Amino acid sequence: MFERIPFSSFGEFLNMGGYAFNVWTVYLLFVIFLLVNLLGPRRRRKQLMKELERRAVLAERQQPDSSD
Amino acid sequence: MKPHRRKRLAIILFIAAGLSVGIGLTLYALRQNLNMFFTPSQVAAGEFPPGREIRIGGMVKEGSVLHADDSLEVRFVATDYASDVPIHYQGILPDLFREGQGIVVEGQVDRAGVLQASRVLAKHDENYMSPEVKAALDAAHVERPGYGQVSEGVPDGT
Amino acid sequence: MWQWFHRWGSPKWFYDLSGRWLPWLTGALILFLVVGVVWALLFVPQDYQQSYTTRILVVHVAVASTSLAFFPIMAVAGTITLVWKMKMADMVAKTVAPLGAWFSALTLASGSIWGSVMWGTWWEWSDSRLTSMLFQFFLLISVISLRSALNDSETAAKACAVLSIVGCVNVVIIKYSVEWWNTLHQPASALSMNSGSANGPAFWVPTLVMVIAMYLLMAVHVMMATRNEILRRESRSQWVQDLVLAAK
Repeated sequence: MFERIPFSSFGEFLNMGGYAFNVWTVYLLFVIFLLVNLLGPRRRRKQLMKELERRAVLAERQQPDSSD
Repeated sequence: MKPHRRKRLAIILFIAAGLSVGIGLTLYALRQNLNMFFTPSQVAAGEFPPGREIRIGGMVKEGSVLHADDSLEVRFVATDYASDVPIHYQGILPDLFREGQGIVVEGQVDRAGVLQASRVLAKHDENYMSPEVKAALDAAHVERPGYGQVSEGVPDGT
Repeated sequence: MWQWFHRWGSPKWFYDLSGRWLPWLTGALILFLVVGVVWALLFVPQDYQQSYTTRILVVHVAVASTSLAFFPIMAVAGTITLVWKMKMADMVAKTVAPLGAWFSALTLASGSIWGSVMWGTWWEWSDSRLTSMLFQFFLLISVISLRSALNDSETAAKACAVLSIVGCVNVVIIKYSVEWWNTLHQPASALSMNSGSANGPAFWVPTLVMVIAMYLLMAVHVMMATRNEILRRESRSQWVQDLVLAAK
C-alpha cells in the first residue's frame, strides 16, 4: 500500500509538484466548509435547547400546578 | 390523491413545462453568443465581428511556436486542423502552454490577418492520466479519444 | 404507500427516526471523509499535464456534482409543499438551501484556484459553465433571502417552492453547458474501468468515495438542521415540551 504513494519525502508531499499553494488552499477551504456545516447545526441545537428550557422554567413559574 | 391536489399538481407541472420550453427557445436563439470562442475555420471564413476583441479557440500547431530570444514575445499558429490563424503575443504564457495543447486566445485580428493577442489561456481536455499511462499509450500509438478536438461543441458555422 | 408518505409529514415521526439514524450516518460520513481525503492527498496519481492538481480535482468534482442535487431536492420538497401543504417538506427545503449555497461557493472557489494555474485565469465571464454555476449560487441566495424577507411563513414557503422548481432549469444548463457551447471548461470525463487508459479507476474511485461523503454530509446536515427547525416551529407542542423537560 505505502509503496503506491508517489512522494519520496514529506517535503515533496507538501510541495505537491509545485502547486502547494493551490492544492492546500482548496483543502483548507474544504475543511472550513465541513466544520461550518457540521458544527453549526450542533451549536444551534444547544442554544435552542437552552432557550426552550428557559421558557419551560418560566412557564412553570407563571402557572404553578394546583397541587403546589 | 384528492381532486383539488391533483389539479394543483397539474398546474405546477404545466407551468414548469412551459417555462422550460421558453428558456430552451431563448438559449437556442442566443446560442452563438453563449459560445466562448470562434474556431480558426470561422475566422478564416470571416465569420467574426471586425475591429472588435474576439476569442478564438484551437490547438497550438506542432512546430509553429517561435520565442523571441530577448523578450516575452512569441509567435505561433492556432489551428483546428482545417484552418490556421497566426498569433502574435507578448506576455506570460500559462503553465500548460505547449505545442499540441488546446488554447483560447483573446485579441484583435489585424489587417495582415494576424491575431494580436492580449491574453492566452490554456484549455485542457477531460482525459486525466498519469505520466506512466500516457507514456504507455504513446508507445502503443493509441489514439486517445477526444484528443485533437477543441471541444464537443465546435460550432458548425451557423 | 400513501400512509407511508403521510407519516413522513409528521414532525415527531421525522424527529424520532432521524435521531436514530444520525449516529450511523455521522459514522459513515467520517469514514468516507477520512478515506476520501487520505486517498486523494496520498495515493491519487499525478496527471501527465496537470501534475498534482489532481488533488483539487477530487474535491472540486465531488462538491460540484453534489451541488447540482440541491435544486431538484428543493423542487420535490416545494411540489409537496404546494400540493399537499406538508410542513415537513418546507422545513427540509428551508434547511437545504443554505447548504446548497455553501456547496456552490466551494465549487466556484476550488475551480477558480485550479483554473488560475492550469488555464491561466481565475474567472472567465464568457464561459457558460462558470457563469451558470455562479447563477446557481445567486439563485440559492435569492431563495434564502426571499424566505427571510417574507414574514408570513406560508407565503414564504409557496414563493420559495416556485423559485426552486424554476431553478431546476438552471441545473440542466450547468450540466450541458460544456456540450452545447464551446467553453474553456472541459466536458465531463468518460470514465474507464481500465487502469491503463485515461480516467482510470485511480482517479474516479477516490472521487466516488468523496461524492458519497458529500451526500452523507448533506444527509447529516439536513437532518440536524431540520431537527432544530422542528424544535423551533413545534416548541408549543406537548411532545417538544416533554422532550425539553426530560433533557433538563
